[in-house]
Amino acid sequence: MIRSILFSCLLLLGCGYVQSTWLGSIALLGVTPDLALLVLIWVSYKNGIVEGPCSGFISGLAEDFLSAAPLGFNAFVKTAVATCASFLHGVFFIDRVVLPFVLGALGTLAKALAAGFLAILFSGKLRGYDLLGKELWIEAAYNGLAAPFLFLLLSPLKRLLVTERGRE
Amino acid sequence: MSYDPLKVRERGRRAAAPILLAASLLCLTISTRSLVGLPERVGVTVLGFFQKGFSALGGFVSDTLDSIAELRRLRRDYDELSAKLERFTAMERGMADLRAENGRLKEQLGFAQGEAGYERIAARIVAKDPGNLYSTIVIDKGVESGIRKNMPIVAFQDGIEGLVGRVVEAGLGTSLVVPLYDQSSYVACRLVNERHEGLVAGSGGADDPLVMRFVKKRAKDEVQFGDLVSTSGYESVYPPDIAVGRVKRVRVLEYQTSVEIDLDPVLDFSRIEYVFAFKPLSARPAGEGGGGTP
Repeated sequence: MIRSILFSCLLLLGCGYVQSTWLGSIALLGVTPDLALLVLIWVSYKNGIVEGPCSGFISGLAEDFLSAAPLGFNAFVKTAVATCASFLHGVFFIDRVVLPFVLGALGTLAKALAAGFLAILFSGKLRGYDLLGKELWIEAAYNGLAAPFLFLLLSPLKRLLVTERGRE
Repeated sequence: MSYDPLKVRERGRRAAAPILLAASLLCLTISTRSLVGLPERVGVTVLGFFQKGFSALGGFVSDTLDSIAELRRLRRDYDELSAKLERFTAMERGMADLRAENGRLKEQLGFAQGEAGYERIAARIVAKDPGNLYSTIVIDKGVESGIRKNMPIVAFQDGIEGLVGRVVEAGLGTSLVVPLYDQSSYVACRLVNERHEGLVAGSGGADDPLVMRFVKKRAKDEVQFGDLVSTSGYESVYPPDIAVGRVKRVRVLEYQTSVEIDLDPVLDFSRIEYVFAFKPLSARPAGEGGGGTP
């Protein structure tokens, strides 16, 4: 379990760095895909209730340090999304294209809902997504499109990122 | 009732997510009340170090590819330049005299330090916010280079010095800058020609217009498309007379006592690579007074 969380966190941190440094060049209307979120969804789906949220919390906390978001914002959002994704563990099998797309897009919406919940809870101090704004829907579509490729790339890393229990 | 260790373990596993969510909320509660600034500073310092590395790696790869193409061009240019060099050597003697005279004049005018009362610290943009909700710019200079929280950041583009934003967190070797277009950014500004004052706020996106609010209603007949807006310097972290944007549209709302003016930023934020932080030369710390974030 520790190994899975450790490698997941390292991969998620790497994704955060890639997003902040290299992905600016493929931004669509200023929106970049959230690779860390997609990796987190995959890890949570494959592992279940402990490893996903733990990885989400740690990587979210790290992301808070790289962002103007208050400390704990991304930690909460990522933990919430990972918890939701972990409930799907063992419920169905992921195919190559359709379900990854759906998971990527729905994960983005779950992220927006978690951010919205915090924006209401800490009224005025935090920022939430505009549900009618184009940014959210572009990000959802972008993440949906990136998910099948990313999930395919993650499959060979299953031994590092998924516990034995999750691989059964 | 019998004790079942498997059930207890499973219950423990299920408790992990709620505990982590609660820990996140605890962090948020502390950080939004700004009780502690230390964790953010430590985090920016440690993680910013690796971020710089990633940026450098990306830069290295693209620079290497560019260099191969450029080497061919450089060889061709070299021959042409050698010929020109002879002519310029002759001109250089005259230039040296002019430069010395220019330096003396600048000193007399008090422009040697750029903006009066400020020292400029050059920095390079190495990263942006990893998420899409917040807009942050990461620069490669931090506390060890003299950067402090709330320092104004400017950039030069197409011969214009424009405001980029302000430092919100300074780590040891990197700093976080909130750009002008961020929703949390507020800058006291004025129209350069008409002298009307207002508060410029960001709309969230680098391509979205800035909005100048609380401008007196009588300005609607005077303001024209393309008029320049610069910082006023009143009660603000920003020095006066730094260009911010140009008038794009004036919106008159009947139920309000002021008008709102949409501005196009003078800087194209997607093209900025290098910036300058304004370090006050006097003992007055950056950020004294209001401004920045309400």
